[in-house]
Parts: sequence; C-alpha cells; structure tokens
Amino acid sequence: MSESVALNPNSAWNGGKSPFGVSYGKLMMWVFLLSDAFTFSSLLVTYGCNRYLSGGSEIKWPHPDKVFNHFPFLHGMDLPLVFVSMMTFILIFSSVTMVLAVEAGARKHRNDVAFYMFLTIIGGIAFLSCQAWEWSQFITGSHEGSSFLVDGQKIHGANLFLNEYGPAAFAGLFFIVTGFHGFHVLSGVVLNVIIYVNVIKGTYDKRGHYEMIEKVGLYWHFVDLVWVFVFTFFYLI
Amino acid sequence: MEHTDHSAEHTAEHHEEGHGINKKTIWVTFGILSALTLVDFAFFFNMDASMSRNLIFVALGIIKSYYIVGIFMHMKYEVKRLAGIILLPFGFILGLVAALLYEGDRWSVIKWFVE
Repeated sequence: MSESVALNPNSAWNGGKSPFGVSYGKLMMWVFLLSDAFTFSSLLVTYGCNRYLSGGSEIKWPHPDKVFNHFPFLHGMDLPLVFVSMMTFILIFSSVTMVLAVEAGARKHRNDVAFYMFLTIIGGIAFLSCQAWEWSQFITGSHEGSSFLVDGQKIHGANLFLNEYGPAAFAGLFFIVTGFHGFHVLSGVVLNVIIYVNVIKGTYDKRGHYEMIEKVGLYWHFVDLVWVFVFTFFYLI
Repeated sequence: MEHTDHSAEHTAEHHEEGHGINKKTIWVTFGILSALTLVDFAFFFNMDASMSRNLIFVALGIIKSYYIVGIFMHMKYEVKRLAGIILLPFGFILGLVAALLYEGDRWSVIKWFVE
C-alpha cells in the first residue's frame, strides 16, 4: 500500500460505515425478504398459469365468490368476500400495531413496546384462527356437494386429489399458497412472542436500542404485503 | 456528556427519529390502506369480471405495497442505495410475473404439440 493514498476510516469503502446506512441484521433481513418474495411470486405465477390453462378444459375454474362465501355462525347465507375481508383488516391492523411498537421502540418506551407487541401477537393469532376456520370450511365443503368429476358419486369439500369446486389444481394451489402464507404468519407470531418476552425481560434496555423490533417488524410487514397479493390473486381475480 | 452520547448514537437513530414516522403518519397510512381495500370491494361487487378489472386489482395491490414498503417498512426514509438494491429485483419479479401470465398459455401449445 502506498502511503500517498489517504485512507479515511469513515469511508464506506474502508468498512468504516455501512454503505446502506443500516445495520448488518437489517440488511440481511431485507435480503431474506427478497428471496422470500421470489418464492411467493413463483407460487402466484403457478396459480396464474394453471388458471389460465384451465380455460379450455371442461372443468371450469371456480369463481372465488362462489367458493369463499361463508361466515361463522351464519349458515346458508351467501356472503362472498366478507370473511376474507375481515381477515385482511385484521392483518393490516396488526401491521399498524407492529409499526406503533417500532415507533415506541425508537422512543425507548418499554411499556408501550410491550403493549403494541402484545396487540400484534393477538392480531396474528386472530388471523391464524380465521385461516383455520377457512380451511376447515374448504375441506368440509357444502352440504350439496358436487358430482361433476366422478360418475354418480358425490364429492363434498376438498382433498389433494378431488374437490367439489373445480380442477384438482384449484384445491392444491389453495392449500399451498394460503398454507405457505399461514406458515409465515405462524413463524411471525413465534418471533413476536420471543421479542415480546425479551422486551418484558428488559433485554433491549440493557442493549441500549430496540433495533430487534424493527427487524421483526420488517418480517411482519412483509407477511402483510404478501397477503395483499394472495388476497388479490386468490379472492378478487 | 449527554451530547457525546447523542452523537455516538446519531447514525443509528437518525433514520428513526428524523424522518416523520410518527403516530399521525401511521394512522394516515392505515386509513389509506383500508380505503384502498374498500375500493377493491367496490370494484369487485360493481364490475363484471374482466381483464381490465384484474388489472385494476393488481394496480391497487401495487399502490398498497408502495405504502406498506414505503411507510411501514420504512423504505422511503432509508438510503437510496438500499432502496435501489432491494426494489430493483422486486421490479424484475413483477416483470417476470407479468411475462409468465401473459404468455402462460404457451404451455398449452407445447402440450398440444407433444400430444
């Protein structure tokens, strides 16, 4: 190394600071979310292609408002999109409480962080419960059933091979896409619980900053973001 | 003493406190997201299924993702370079999704040839 080159230790090229202005953990969380977006978009592309291809076949792709039109305790009523819109609002609202927790973390206000993290966990559990109900409704199926796939034999609900709604790929894709998203929500709830316990224990007060809330918050908002698109492709289009 | 502490943590805190993520911004964003979702329902119930309606839904989804990523995930206030390296690949993904959906029926043509 020539002495004539003036090394500035604060320059990003010398490792003095992050060129992206974020910590390593947050940058890696972003990279992870990017890779996760690849996975989800591949699933949505599969859904789109399968649905597109089914256009010419004799078994029509079902229309979502004919399949997802149930609401708990309201039997026999045709309520398309009501339940799933409730799920959407639950998830958006839990995203709001998460960002409020991040905001409280920036103020280093432990009780506020704990309170909003608790609300976020409740929101996540509420969403998962709704999804469990939705799945059981989907698998159980309607009382009438349908018989357009098997001669004379009625099918109720759905499994991986047959379903009363339409092509087998419809149920399969419903299970994999909403299941994969639901699994993300579940992991998010587990992470949130860990962070919540740490907040209560005062780990982040000892550490001096609440950056961990921001990292988990990024993940949680991403789950919300994915739901926006799952909702658009699965229930609206 | 307090002053030196502040400058040491300045880089870590600067993007959190200096750029307007406050409760008001959060609730306004929540209002916008809810309103956009209600617009979704308005189109769903008042318009027949068509390609243009699908495009409206996707466009609304992209607007919603702008608010989620920009405000909730704080991307609007990060260094532009970070936004660049993360959002550029997202753009590629969107292009890929659009291309595969637009020419997705190519599969059926190939299938027809094979059979």
